[in-house]
Amino acid sequence: MATGTPFSPLMTPARPPFWRNVKVLRAVIQIIALLGVGVVVYVLFFNVTNNLRARGIRTDFEFLDQPFGVRIAGSDLSPGAPVRAALINGVKNTLALTVVGLPLLTILGVLVGVGRLSANWLVSKVSTVYVEILRNLPPLLLIVFAFQAVILRLPPARSPVTPFGWFVISNLETHVPGFRAGEGYATFISIVGLALAVGALVWWWRTRVQQEAGAPHHRWAWSLGLVAVVATIAYLVIGRPLTITLPVLTGRVVDGGFRGLGAFFAVMGALVLYTSSHVAEIVRGSIQAVPKGQTEAASALALSGFQRLRFVVLPQALRTALPPVINQYLNYVKNTSLAIVVGFAEVTLIAFQAIGNGQPAPQVIITLMAAYLVFSLVISLIINVLNRRLRMVTR
Amino acid sequence: MKLRLIAALAAVFLLAACTQAADTTTTVGTPTTADGGVTTTADTGGSTVPAGETTTTGATGDGLLAEVQARGSVRCGINEAVPGFGFLEADGTRSGFDIDFCRAVAAAIFGDPEAVEFVPLTAQQRFTALQAGEIDVLIRNTTYTASRDGGEGATFLSTTFYDGQGMMVRADSGFTVLEDLANTAICVLSGTTTELNLATRFVDIPYEPLTFEENDVLQEAFVAGQCDGWTSDKSQLAGVRSAFPEGPDALVILEETFSKEPLGPAVRDGDSQWAQIVDWVVNVTIIAEELGIESGNVDTFADTENLEIRRLLGLEIESDEGVAVFNAGLGLDPGWPADVITAVGNYGEIFNRNVGPDSPLGLERELNALWTEGGLIYAPPFR
Repeated sequence: MATGTPFSPLMTPARPPFWRNVKVLRAVIQIIALLGVGVVVYVLFFNVTNNLRARGIRTDFEFLDQPFGVRIAGSDLSPGAPVRAALINGVKNTLALTVVGLPLLTILGVLVGVGRLSANWLVSKVSTVYVEILRNLPPLLLIVFAFQAVILRLPPARSPVTPFGWFVISNLETHVPGFRAGEGYATFISIVGLALAVGALVWWWRTRVQQEAGAPHHRWAWSLGLVAVVATIAYLVIGRPLTITLPVLTGRVVDGGFRGLGAFFAVMGALVLYTSSHVAEIVRGSIQAVPKGQTEAASALALSGFQRLRFVVLPQALRTALPPVINQYLNYVKNTSLAIVVGFAEVTLIAFQAIGNGQPAPQVIITLMAAYLVFSLVISLIINVLNRRLRMVTR
Repeated sequence: MKLRLIAALAAVFLLAACTQAADTTTTVGTPTTADGGVTTTADTGGSTVPAGETTTTGATGDGLLAEVQARGSVRCGINEAVPGFGFLEADGTRSGFDIDFCRAVAAAIFGDPEAVEFVPLTAQQRFTALQAGEIDVLIRNTTYTASRDGGEGATFLSTTFYDGQGMMVRADSGFTVLEDLANTAICVLSGTTTELNLATRFVDIPYEPLTFEENDVLQEAFVAGQCDGWTSDKSQLAGVRSAFPEGPDALVILEETFSKEPLGPAVRDGDSQWAQIVDWVVNVTIIAEELGIESGNVDTFADTENLEIRRLLGLEIESDEGVAVFNAGLGLDPGWPADVITAVGNYGEIFNRNVGPDSPLGLERELNALWTEGGLIYAPPFR
């Protein structure tokens, strides 16, 4: 009876009705959940805008075009400049804190982290004390302390000191020698930029030469030498695109050089110390996570302690350390918002000033959050690229 | 089993969607009147207010007055760091010009000057707190300006203190006029009209503004010499100077007054009854000083012939029609001015107690004298 018929009823895959077909039900639940989330979000949004309108508060983003109304420390913006320009100024200041602070805290963190594992008793104890104290204090406290106990103790603004005639230092601001852009500055910078790009290519080329032919690469000398030569030639040919200036004090005005506000150093110093203590712990943990066999093998190859660290342990340790370190970088960026307490005009202070001078609070806060989000996403993007490159090296 | 779960979830979400469509006035937080249709100046940006939102205030019991009476205390937004106006003493009590007016409002509504809940606020938070309904009235040395009246959703009431902005410098700095402060740093609190006025006055003078959130850190910076000038309302500067650790003579307040700073209480837009009550609390203290009524002698006027006093204190007035007690129809029981005056005194007493010539601040009445004595303090009649 069943012979010759390959599709007997027992072998046919029967499709259950849609109301108990698992695949259909799963899709339906997803759709319902999505709708549910959408409804909740819509209700909340509707609620907020409704309440704002009921109280006569605006719900648009036109505040960005309104005049800011006040001057900002350390910038030339006039009070009539739009809020948008003021916020961008604030972002520049946060960027300054980030660009200066992140490399510093990385270097410090790695040094202290390695120091904790040092055989030298003094070095390891000092590192331990450093980490334990700084890690356990709130960053706000550290910032206020750095401001009040360190920066404010410098000479008052009305009578700064001028060591060596090269610096002008007071508790308000510090002036260091700098340069001023002259004619042809833009051309010069683009040539140097190009030289750096070519230098990176030269670096890669020399590394390949070493990998394939075995000759010493001397890649630092090649690439930096190229950049230096090109920069010097460009400098001489263009004329004087830069002039070195020393800060000169006349009365209350300082002419020349670069300037840093005291509050900037307080915030940066405190946060660098705080975040580096966390990074030190991460580095220490990741070094200890490298298998002991690696250090033993390195010793067997007669590598010195430093060479062992530099060529065997650290490259492997940094791979594990990178994700938590990205986290610390983001924490650093977010903690810069505490600078409002000491009056440093980074983006949070500007936003709060705008709110205090009549701009609608919800929209300003949303803009502020968007700014921090962009910041954090860019930083983690850059470092994740690095992370991926390191990962591809493992077996 | 799973099917029942799905059906339940679907029902919940459908319910949420339906209730949201019907109830267009879902409010979060305190159920205050959403009187969007009444305010005109506050409705900016061309947004239309949904028609179903206007509610009536007054006798229906929906207004802020009814809510405050039900709660049993007035929530007053104050400052706690300005000596003379709003200050937290070392023993935990609060004293100051604005604090006394908070107590006056409480005395008017409850007869008890202690029925107040003080909410300390920074300059940044004050209007957001008022808009959000966290406080009922803001009495925090706040300047009455057009944009605050309009854009900030606040209604300003009778000015209690006519002030101006000034600049304070060290006595040994040698500065005498504002132009001397070119190329220096000037400390200012952020989120205040002070900041804006400084920018306007110094538009041709180069300077560095240092904006701080709180007076404590600002004072540290000023003492350490980071900024050479401290700008604020002259009354605040007087308060700070009086409490200065190096003594008041180490500081000098420059002569020039570079703005008008009328300070007064503010309430949220939309509740006229509540606004009128707070307004008249201020006015009766002024009227009491005009009539010579003080906290100590309120009871002595039971037999006075003066009809103004009888109206103010809620005493019976005999006329041809019979005996009547004056009720202004503000929503409070007659005789509430007597409670206010007994609790905090008249305007002159409040002024002298907190900021007067014999207080640590040592301010003269000047602009804040009664209109009969050449000042600006003037109240409409209580009739």
